[in-house]
Amino acid sequence: MAGWALLARLGARLRAAGAAGHRGQLGPVARHGNDATWWHEHLSEENVQFLKKTTAEEYKAQTASKLCPLKDEPWPLNEWKPDSVRVGVVAVKLGMMPIWTKSGKKHAVTLLKVQDCHVLRYISKEESEGKTAKLIVGGKNVSPFFKSEAAMEIFKEAGVPRKQKVTAFNVTDDAIIKPGTPLYAAHFRPGQFVDVTAKTIGKGFQGVMKRWGFKGQPASHGQTKTHRRPGAISTNKAAKVYRGKKMPGKMGNVYRTSYGLKVWRINTKHDIIYVNGSVPGHTNCLVKVKDTKLPNYKDCNKNPPFPTFFADGDEKLPEDLYDEEVFQFTDPSVTYA
Amino acid sequence: MAAVAMAAACGRLLLRGAAARPSRCFSSSGCRSSTDGDTAKFQPPPKPVIIDKQRQREERRYLSPEFIPPRGRTDPLKFYIERKDMIQRRKVFNIPEFYVGSILAVTTADPYADGKTNRFVGICIQRGGKGLGATFVLRNVIEDQGVEICYELYSPRIQEIKVLKLEKRLDDNLMYLRDALPEYSTFDVNMKPESRLDHEEIPVNKLQVRMKPKPWSKRWERPKYNIKGIKFELPEKKMKAAEKWSQPWLEFDMLREYDTSKIEEKIWKEINEELKK
Amino acid sequence: MALLNRQLGFSLTHLRSAVSQRHFSITAACRAIQKLTRVRVVDNSALGNTPYHRPPKCIHVYNKTGVGKVGDKILLAIKGEKKKALIVGHKMPGPHMTPRFDSNNVVLIEDNGNPIGTRIKTPIPYTLRQKGEFSKVLAIARNFV
Repeated sequence: MAGWALLARLGARLRAAGAAGHRGQLGPVARHGNDATWWHEHLSEENVQFLKKTTAEEYKAQTASKLCPLKDEPWPLNEWKPDSVRVGVVAVKLGMMPIWTKSGKKHAVTLLKVQDCHVLRYISKEESEGKTAKLIVGGKNVSPFFKSEAAMEIFKEAGVPRKQKVTAFNVTDDAIIKPGTPLYAAHFRPGQFVDVTAKTIGKGFQGVMKRWGFKGQPASHGQTKTHRRPGAISTNKAAKVYRGKKMPGKMGNVYRTSYGLKVWRINTKHDIIYVNGSVPGHTNCLVKVKDTKLPNYKDCNKNPPFPTFFADGDEKLPEDLYDEEVFQFTDPSVTYA
Repeated sequence: MAAVAMAAACGRLLLRGAAARPSRCFSSSGCRSSTDGDTAKFQPPPKPVIIDKQRQREERRYLSPEFIPPRGRTDPLKFYIERKDMIQRRKVFNIPEFYVGSILAVTTADPYADGKTNRFVGICIQRGGKGLGATFVLRNVIEDQGVEICYELYSPRIQEIKVLKLEKRLDDNLMYLRDALPEYSTFDVNMKPESRLDHEEIPVNKLQVRMKPKPWSKRWERPKYNIKGIKFELPEKKMKAAEKWSQPWLEFDMLREYDTSKIEEKIWKEINEELKK
Repeated sequence: MALLNRQLGFSLTHLRSAVSQRHFSITAACRAIQKLTRVRVVDNSALGNTPYHRPPKCIHVYNKTGVGKVGDKILLAIKGEKKKALIVGHKMPGPHMTPRFDSNNVVLIEDNGNPIGTRIKTPIPYTLRQKGEFSKVLAIARNFV
């Protein structure tokens, strides 16, 4: 905890220095948050290196301490029931690759890496004022230096490094997990179905042809300056534009969910989930993966590791878990007899 | 048929003692037949050299183009994961070394074929894809009908890949064979595999094909394609007009350079470790 | 040298045959078979093989998308008649590991599905067997890929 205290003191000093009137000499610089200066602006090179080193060490120590939750007792574990809803994980989208089934059919899969995923906070049903309790989960460690003290609070409480993506999952009361517990790819099992939520790729301000698939107008035959325009947007009788009319505007960069994607394979060593088909978002974006809410796949999602998979549990997993249909490359070629 | 006859003709020409002029040499099989005469005098090189060459050959087999990751911001871990599967597949199934221009015979499992296997012989006209999704296209003319099949290199449906003739051509992509005279992509289905010594260099077939009259699927005379394997029989004016599209500054664009030598070294080291397991 | 010259002459005849085959322009849009696609009849029926000043043309595709692939039936305008035909190969690349042909090939069939010709001159894909309803067409094929 020494690093945090040092940082806090530094931050306070920096803010004081900023207020003293260093603003004029900075010029047009991109700013992060409401801090008046860069975090390392008034530090010597050695101090910056020192801070970086201590933070890295602290990150490592924090992660290591969370690996054995036996030190302080975890929260009581419950049995899985058909109506219980588990927590999900935050993962990084790596890219796509093909996978073959034993019948020789090819499928495209997306690789999702569960990277430094920890439970950060438990919010009870009363606190959240919603229908269910919530678990806040974060994924992918990043530098702590660009966040304000207030924003760092949640990580400090859980005792884990700062996360790039923090998101909430609605869970039932029997599926709650102690904050600080690491989540792994083995939380999901091959053969089950998941929903994946992420921000789609932003396309900027687009016209109606690209954004909504309108037909546009002909290229010739006497058209004047009217080729990709929407045309009429309402009628004379209505004398207004209806709400929700499809018009040009910002496209993409909104949260979208792909539902009911099959998990083909799990790599437990590198924590990778192989999910059927495509997933919203660009490569290296952070996605939210959870058990599917579609009712048709309830049979496939029976008896998962509940409330999550614990690495120090009795269950020893092989490096790769496959769905039974998947062709494994250790097998000889497929033949049809 | 025509190709075989032509190769024989070339061989005779060369054996007559004429210097091996590349423009005359339609097929490298002719060139090889001339060297065959020296095999009696051939001495195997000293032992360490052979080991080195064998290693090189193994390296060439493994460092086929799909092992080199494309440029981009994708996490290298993704390519590592894919490579592990690729090496695993290559441990079980022999994927030989081949190039664009080599003649291959591929046997696939096909639920609809007689005997449930399907064999296709053809010239490799294109290799595409990176990682597990790597593909290659074989082309042949069967009963005056051009046929192409795009195979997935790592598909478990492929049962055997056999190299009938290992050679390179002047270009890395032979898609222009679609617009060339059919005899240049006609190959005998019952072709016998040509034997070659392991340590030999891969021969480059300097054949220049003759094209059907225009229109072609692409304007191959344009500098963009940089085709060396076509004998253009276009009027001088047209060839000059095609030069208009040349972009001579591109070769000085340093951002377009992609030096893979270091990556190759790293990958080869990684493959060696995997193979020892 | 004489040998070489004979080679050239041989290839020139090939060239001529290639030219006569290409009596219409082939554009990218013609690759999958849709309405007004000009096709090549590959069986030995008299209707498909007697020369006519207008190439056989697809005037309807009997499926829901309107784009014909291998195994789809189409309606042809051929020699001023309407005739049904079965697509046995096209220029557009299909799924991987299936053949792609250099021309859009069809076999003429009667309304009841029986082929008109008695022989198919070119190789046809094995994937035609997938649907299991063209056994009479498959029976007259000589070569499969």
